[in-house]
Amino acid sequence: MLNFKKIRLMTKLAVYEKKEGKEDIYLSKYYKTDYVRFQVLKSILSATVGYGLILGMIALYKMEYLIKNAVTLNYKSLGTYILGFYIMTITVYGLGSLVYYSMKYDASRKKLARYFKLLKRLEKLYNDSAQES
Amino acid sequence: MLPLLELRERVKNFYQRYDMYLLPVIKFIFALVVFCLINKDIGYDARLKSLPIVLGISLLSAFTPSAVMVLLATIISVLHVYFISPILSIMIIAILMILYLLFIRYTPKLGYVLLAIPILFQLKIPYMLPILLGLVSTPVAMIPTSCGVIIYFLFQIIKNAVTMQNNISIEDILQLYTYVVDSLIGNRQMIMTIVIFSLIIMATYFIRKMSFNYAFEISILAGGLLSILGFLISYLILNRADQILSMIIGSIVSAGLVYIIHFFKLTLDYSRVEHATFEDDVYYYYVKAVPKATVTISEVNIRHYNVKNSKAREFSDPDTDESDIYNFEEDNDN
Repeated sequence: MLNFKKIRLMTKLAVYEKKEGKEDIYLSKYYKTDYVRFQVLKSILSATVGYGLILGMIALYKMEYLIKNAVTLNYKSLGTYILGFYIMTITVYGLGSLVYYSMKYDASRKKLARYFKLLKRLEKLYNDSAQES
Repeated sequence: MLPLLELRERVKNFYQRYDMYLLPVIKFIFALVVFCLINKDIGYDARLKSLPIVLGISLLSAFTPSAVMVLLATIISVLHVYFISPILSIMIIAILMILYLLFIRYTPKLGYVLLAIPILFQLKIPYMLPILLGLVSTPVAMIPTSCGVIIYFLFQIIKNAVTMQNNISIEDILQLYTYVVDSLIGNRQMIMTIVIFSLIIMATYFIRKMSFNYAFEISILAGGLLSILGFLISYLILNRADQILSMIIGSIVSAGLVYIIHFFKLTLDYSRVEHATFEDDVYYYYVKAVPKATVTISEVNIRHYNVKNSKAREFSDPDTDESDIYNFEEDNDN
């Protein structure tokens, strides 16, 4: 016989697993520190590549000037500028993603807690029906 | 108003019934429009314009997530430019990479905005998107919107640069490159568009969040007015009076379209039908879960308090007791 109570629970769980839960369940495989650290590293890496690309484009844009003044350029101050902006960029991106991904992880944990509550209820249903039969 | 509400109900029922087939069809038509517009605007490569290819990629994007369509559209656009000028396509890729690495990768769910902005610009109603995003999203949507505007103007510049480009020497490449960068950075219209779109998103978002009657409708109105005012000022500054009329009409049409979407969205959103498959030791279940959207919020409350009423029993399953109804309500509230 069909157990509607069970079907309803299972439907809810299945829908959650299929949609929003997919990411939550994936996140639950990580510790918070591991997950956040990995994401921050990824952000810093992508910011670095983006910064490099912008730098390359600026260099290409100023190519004529650079070649003309190749000997007289003050490489030390130029290098300091580039490094300074780089440090600023990765600080912003690193801190930003630290905050963002920590919040995201916490939010997904909260949703997951509800999911586990329903799972527990389902388990109880199973145990009850097993005792009956 | 009543016939309209009836129509909405009918559309909703139709959608609930056939959503499995309807969704790919809508996506297919949308993809077809997108690829045709791209081909019309920058269709340099005749091979990519052929009907089988266009139909093929549209079909592909109908059955895949929306991110695939965005990617396909990007690839097609770059290939078109590559056909006529490899140098320019490299520039496009570099700029797109920068946009992706620094901004777009943080808003993966709004990727379609990047595609929608240039497309809506083609259709002369780009004002629609910021109003809509203000309604359904958060101010974070400013990031992909700005990137979409940049992409649209980038391709406009590329279209000009293509005509400039002739035989290829190192000198020419550099000149071409400086032209593209100069016109992208010095593009005042682009910067103003970004600012105005961001303002529209903010305004519609914050007005929508306020708690007074008709907040949604007023926020749409405010968005439309803001777009008319903002672009009026920007066009007057830029001396582009010839575009004012089409802008005003476009803004009004956009606000109207957003209102229509908003009107249907409320039902369509809540009537999202879910298909789930699962099994236990005895059965396989193929469940189609249809939300009870016809019950408005006030009626839900009535049902909640009159649980012992016979009408409430109609809604509940024969196999459940009353305590379970309470549990169910509680879960939905979460």
